[in-house]
Amino acid sequence: MTGAIPSIALVGNPNAGKSSLFNALTGARQKIANYPGVTVERKAGHASFADGRPISLIDLPGTYSLTPASLDEAVTRDVILGRQDGEKRPDALIVVLDAANLDNHLSFALELLALNLPTVVALNMVDLATRDGLTLDAARLSKELGVPVVPTVAVRKRGLTELLVAVDGAIRSHAVREVALPAEANDASLHQRARTIARAAIVNETPVRRWTQRVDNVVLHPVAGMIILLTLMFIMFQAVYAAAEAPADFLEGGIGVLQQWVVATFPDNFLRGLVVEGLLAGVGAVVVFLPQILILFLFILLLEASGYMTRAAFLMDGLMGKVGLSGRGFIPLLSSFACAVPGIMATRAIPDEKDRLTTILIAPLMTCSARLPVYALIIAAFIPNRGVGGTGVGLQGLVLFGLYLAGIVGALVVAWALRRTVAKGTNAGFMMEMPRYQMPRWRDIVLGLWQRAWIFLRRAGTIIAMTTVVLWLLLTFPQAPEGESQVEYSVAGRIASGLEVVVKPIGFNHDIALALIPAMAAREVAVSAMATANAIDAGDDEEAMAQSLGERLQGKWSLATALAFLAWFVFAPQCISTIAITRRETNGWKWPMFMVGYLFLLAYAAAGITYWTAVAFGLG
Amino acid sequence: MTALLENVLDRAPLGVAVRIARIDWTAMSEDEGRRLREFGLMEGCEVTPLHRGSIFSRDPLALTVGRMKVIIRARQAAAIEVEAVA
Repeated sequence: MTGAIPSIALVGNPNAGKSSLFNALTGARQKIANYPGVTVERKAGHASFADGRPISLIDLPGTYSLTPASLDEAVTRDVILGRQDGEKRPDALIVVLDAANLDNHLSFALELLALNLPTVVALNMVDLATRDGLTLDAARLSKELGVPVVPTVAVRKRGLTELLVAVDGAIRSHAVREVALPAEANDASLHQRARTIARAAIVNETPVRRWTQRVDNVVLHPVAGMIILLTLMFIMFQAVYAAAEAPADFLEGGIGVLQQWVVATFPDNFLRGLVVEGLLAGVGAVVVFLPQILILFLFILLLEASGYMTRAAFLMDGLMGKVGLSGRGFIPLLSSFACAVPGIMATRAIPDEKDRLTTILIAPLMTCSARLPVYALIIAAFIPNRGVGGTGVGLQGLVLFGLYLAGIVGALVVAWALRRTVAKGTNAGFMMEMPRYQMPRWRDIVLGLWQRAWIFLRRAGTIIAMTTVVLWLLLTFPQAPEGESQVEYSVAGRIASGLEVVVKPIGFNHDIALALIPAMAAREVAVSAMATANAIDAGDDEEAMAQSLGERLQGKWSLATALAFLAWFVFAPQCISTIAITRRETNGWKWPMFMVGYLFLLAYAAAGITYWTAVAFGLG
Repeated sequence: MTALLENVLDRAPLGVAVRIARIDWTAMSEDEGRRLREFGLMEGCEVTPLHRGSIFSRDPLALTVGRMKVIIRARQAAAIEVEAVA
């Protein structure tokens, strides 16, 4: 082992606490959650032995055996066997076992030991095992397995030094082991052996009445559990609006102040127009939604980290099974309410290929946070702010709820149709381990939120800023002669006039046609595009400048048009990032193209039906 | 045949520990069978079915195997024959 830095892989079952151990060893900052599948990305970090020699660590996706059932599990097998492209075979393994789940986790450990790599076993979460009334003999386990066994508590950084010393020793003194596995190993004999070893290592086992079981009796109750799930969802979406209002107003005020400052400080020229009407108006219209996105992600991260998410998947499995999906799909779909991109990435934990493909294809139908700017603008402008029939329920909130519901129902219908046509296959199974409840660690939650905020702001600073600036240029040139509308006369205005012919039948006007093209980059750009066009259109007209975007639209659009516009965005696949991630996850252009095609068709039909119905009721 | 149907995990009462007598591996795919074994669901082991379904359907079933809690579908549970723990 001279020269090269030894690489050590962490392997183990899902929920064995591998990621926590990895974080504790490397000090690297990653997301830790409780459901299987979160460690799908390759995670590498650095640490060092006591004497300062560096080592590199990789955290492999959790799996139950070397025979993979899903994409992320295949990665683990390939890395360990040295078959993964661009990844050298690890010099040593740290096999992570959940101390409280020994008999089950030992089967995989035995399979790994048979590979004859230098190996050390980390008997992790020994504190939780003790809580459950379990006393273990690590020395006995070590004797049975023929490798060092080190008790650890990753989240308290206990046992880490001893673990690394053992790894160092294992690499130095590695010789071919006497294999602890019968040659003709199959599942049953492996398990039998695992159970025998586990029984030998367990010194004392006192049954403890676990409060978690009492919690599950309520949380997984067919009726009570569903009420709790719906209540949680309701609180989540309420919080997104209620709690985000103050910080959003603050951000909006700040951007206004910034705009005024630029106008007051710099002379009126091309650059000032670009900054005030283009960048600040456009990007600002999107950045104000940061608080809402963070609140939504806060809920999702908490639900994941506490172990509740798998319970929610259990409750939803029945409904999802009816359209040919499984409860597994609930986690990616719930994430898609924040953003379809992490949602689509989370589908990698779905073992069934057709089930996974269907979940990817319907993920964009979940109302993501990028639609909020569009919905919020149109609802505030066109839906009266009053209660419904004397109840405390607001009409605006009800319309918003209806839009979310339309997306969900649409997704279920589409999934049903896809599973009978292009994604036909046997009804997918649903087999999943239920993690124990855990207190979320605040540091991890804050870290997760920071990562989300950064991704959102970077998007606002790149894709959205760029499209807004390009749009501003296209809207500003050529300069309209006196008496003509600048927006209509500009290059963008003329392109929009071409598109208007296509979208006129579904009630869309020139404003919308203009906003739809740049909104291909991201849905929220529709708002920033209208804000920019509005700022240019208002020009020096003081009365027009004083009006908000919503007030301006009120004067120009009919209610039927506004409703059609909302219906359009329930379905329209206008997000470059989603299309790109779908291409990456399905290995080609076939499925992203299919997705874009079917969603545009649905969007056109939904907007059309909404418009014609509204006109028939005299709202045109 | 009826007696056999009554004895499957899918029909077993909740909260009562039972022993797995036989599993009809032919009733499920190879992957499903392997995952069951990876969860430790094999002939001779004790399990306790705990939660079944939601308002939407009888699916899925949550049960404990040793110290682990796992979720399976009714279709697999119907292929698992169980007997009372002596």
